[in-house]
Amino acid sequence: MTVEQAVASAAPVREEDGLILDVRELTKEFVLHNIDGRSVSGLSGVSFRLSAGEHIALAGTSGAGKSSLLRAIYRTYKPTTGNIFFTLEDGNTIDLVGLSDQEVTMLRGRQIGYVSQFLRAQPRRSALDLVTRAGVYRGMGRDEARDMAATSLRRLNIGEHLWDVHVSVLSGGEKQRVNLAAGLMSPPRLLLLDEPVSALDPENRESAIDLIAELSQSGVAVLAVFHDLDAISRLATRIIVLEKGTVTRSGPTDHILPSLTVGDVQP
Amino acid sequence: MTVTDNTTNRLDSLGASGDGPSFAILDEESKREIRRALLQAVAVPGYQVPFGSREMPVARGWGSGGLQVTLAIVGPDDTVKIIDQGDDEGVNAVNLRRLVVSSTGIPETTEAREASIIQSRHRIPEDELTATQTLVLQVPVPEPLRGIERDVRELARMHAEADYSRMWVSLYEDKVRNGVITQSTGYPCLVNGRYVVATTPIPRWDIPRLHMSQFLTLFGAGREKRVYAIPPHTIVEPLTFDDVPFEVERIEGAACRLCGSTDSFLVDSSGEVDSWACSDTAWCRARRSQG
Amino acid sequence: MGLQRHRMVQGQEVAGMRGPSPIPTPDPVLTVNGLGKIYGRDDAGTIDRTGSDAGSARDPITGAIVAAWDVNFEVAAGEAIGIVGESGSGKSTVLRCIAGDLEATSGDVRLSTHMEGRSNVLLADPATRRRMRIDQLSVVYQDPSEGLALSVTAGGNIADPLTAAGVRSFAKIRERASELLSRTEVPLNRMDDIVRNFSGGMRQRVQIARALANKPRILLLDEPTTGLDASVAAGVLDLIRGLLEELDLAAVVVSHDFSVIEMLTNRCIVMHHGRVVESALTDQLLEDPHHPYSQRLVSAARA
Repeated sequence: MTVEQAVASAAPVREEDGLILDVRELTKEFVLHNIDGRSVSGLSGVSFRLSAGEHIALAGTSGAGKSSLLRAIYRTYKPTTGNIFFTLEDGNTIDLVGLSDQEVTMLRGRQIGYVSQFLRAQPRRSALDLVTRAGVYRGMGRDEARDMAATSLRRLNIGEHLWDVHVSVLSGGEKQRVNLAAGLMSPPRLLLLDEPVSALDPENRESAIDLIAELSQSGVAVLAVFHDLDAISRLATRIIVLEKGTVTRSGPTDHILPSLTVGDVQP
Repeated sequence: MTVTDNTTNRLDSLGASGDGPSFAILDEESKREIRRALLQAVAVPGYQVPFGSREMPVARGWGSGGLQVTLAIVGPDDTVKIIDQGDDEGVNAVNLRRLVVSSTGIPETTEAREASIIQSRHRIPEDELTATQTLVLQVPVPEPLRGIERDVRELARMHAEADYSRMWVSLYEDKVRNGVITQSTGYPCLVNGRYVVATTPIPRWDIPRLHMSQFLTLFGAGREKRVYAIPPHTIVEPLTFDDVPFEVERIEGAACRLCGSTDSFLVDSSGEVDSWACSDTAWCRARRSQG
Repeated sequence: MGLQRHRMVQGQEVAGMRGPSPIPTPDPVLTVNGLGKIYGRDDAGTIDRTGSDAGSARDPITGAIVAAWDVNFEVAAGEAIGIVGESGSGKSTVLRCIAGDLEATSGDVRLSTHMEGRSNVLLADPATRRRMRIDQLSVVYQDPSEGLALSVTAGGNIADPLTAAGVRSFAKIRERASELLSRTEVPLNRMDDIVRNFSGGMRQRVQIARALANKPRILLLDEPTTGLDASVAAGVLDLIRGLLEELDLAAVVVSHDFSVIEMLTNRCIVMHHGRVVESALTDQLLEDPHHPYSQRLVSAARA
């Protein structure tokens, strides 16, 4: 199977509106017990909906809560109040906020993908192996996963001479592309991207953007944080602007984009 | 009479034989206690039964355990043969035999076939023993796991749970280090599929004869205060790996310089190079006299 | 429990949320409920007078030490759960009670490999518990001398569990030992060297090889890389992570070191003065710890 075919078959648009994510009044407060029990607000009453094939870019100044929102949905942060309704592959809807830890681990990497700018701690494993495993974890056969991993790595310009090299010795940009390839293996229904192309040189950035665009077209719902307006203009269907953890504006990309400044997309 | 009857009778009847307190050195109470321990040992083949080892007119470690067993089971109708290595004339064998004979008045013999009780330290006679005979072995170290574990509670646990993996590890290590399993005398055996026993200090040569034997074997350790038994018709398996056969001592081309035997246990004779002789001297003599 | 509960969301029941969870989770291989270990004389008030809130595991009235109390968790095949805490928090006590090295005071521990999980192994007799250690549950200790006979060769240490499981072929023992040692990256030419002559990292690899000899379903790791040089520890961690992924083991990793927990586990519990103060996804614990003690622990680790 090629990447394109896999992409096309992985997340069919379903039901009436193909709703994947329905976030309602999401609030996250951090209680810092060791600093006078101080409470710090991360997100406050965030609501939005995201359907299959849609690509929402999160914008806002540094510290506005863009990454926090991604983390709250992925359950790296535990939401304080609110709901995150997620439509499962089988059509059932569940609230991610109420899931047990074990249930969350079952969704991660299978139905919900997360690609950050950093490669998480990984053992000294080769690039090809790491990407292949992501596919196996998603339920693919080993050979199939390996073929697809090879295709993905090629598409992202990771030369074959690097496939057997431990990822820990790759450059920042190479690591990021390996990470992206792993995150995009047999793509999930919902993909959370946290500055996935920030460390890439122009040429590799183009390949990565093309790949992400294809995923959206094939029906994956994407929620992303980018730190450049160009990526947003080429990928996003809608933009949500956050300020101090609250949604201040949202709308189609062509409505919102003209009002954004470079400061709105800073990490 | 079946073998079992014979064994039971021997253990059962002697205490009531009315032979007076001086028969066989030990008082009747002591004999009964030892016989109770022996009964338990026969009932649980290979299990080491503690007993109240007495002071004997021989030093502990010089056959006092075997002697107590013999004295506890001997009766006026018995005939004894006592050997040390294979030789009836060994100093220790002679001393022990004198003790038994003088305290009981029973006859002694050097012919294995004629004896009803054979006490030995290092050998089982070459003659095949029968159901009417009892072999008493003097054991210096009754604990087969002694070299592996010193803590007595842990040893008891290992036997109780038949947890013998460390014994297997020591055989493995022996084979790895030396290419063969080098343990010669006192080879560990699994009795009745349950307990590992020390056959110390008989040579490997004698081990196969304990397996499904016609005769009762009683082991006595005076210093360690333990008795154990291999009843007749009991499975006795030397511990070895499936693919590492258990082999008895054989010296290529060796024959007894006296009787010419090549199928008996041979020992180095008179310090000469390549000079061998039967370890069982009585058997060797009989073979020669038969021509 | 987790599968049966109803989820009420702002007073209204969500469609599809009734009854069993729509997200199937694998059956647990190891289930721990209400596990506790108390040393010394306790009374009815001991539990209330000890723990994280009380600031000590020691009962000021009776002097009893509540080393662990009311510990609950489940681990499925292919999953690793971490137990984090400082030394003395009770995390190793929990592991040793599960392993049978220590006798628990209370609790219920089930292994799917033992009577299909129908029986509390804490009530099994010591012999049965030791037999579980042969082929169902293995432990890798911080100190290799606890898990290995140092005077025995690497191969001999692996022969031990194999012969305990009834393997009687010398060739098969050699073959399996070579297989395990090469998997744990111990040079095969050292198979017949006694373990005492091995470096710390190499001993740990032999210990892991031995633990895996009879393909147990459950692996308990007690500070498996503590005390090793950083680069050696990294190699051993890589190895463990690879094995956990490959062998579909249910693993419990006890460590005070967040990098170990982060590398090996998806979920974890935090222990403090013998009590579980927080139970979380591992990344959540690191990014968004809730309990005051967890926050202290994480910020200390980040510093």
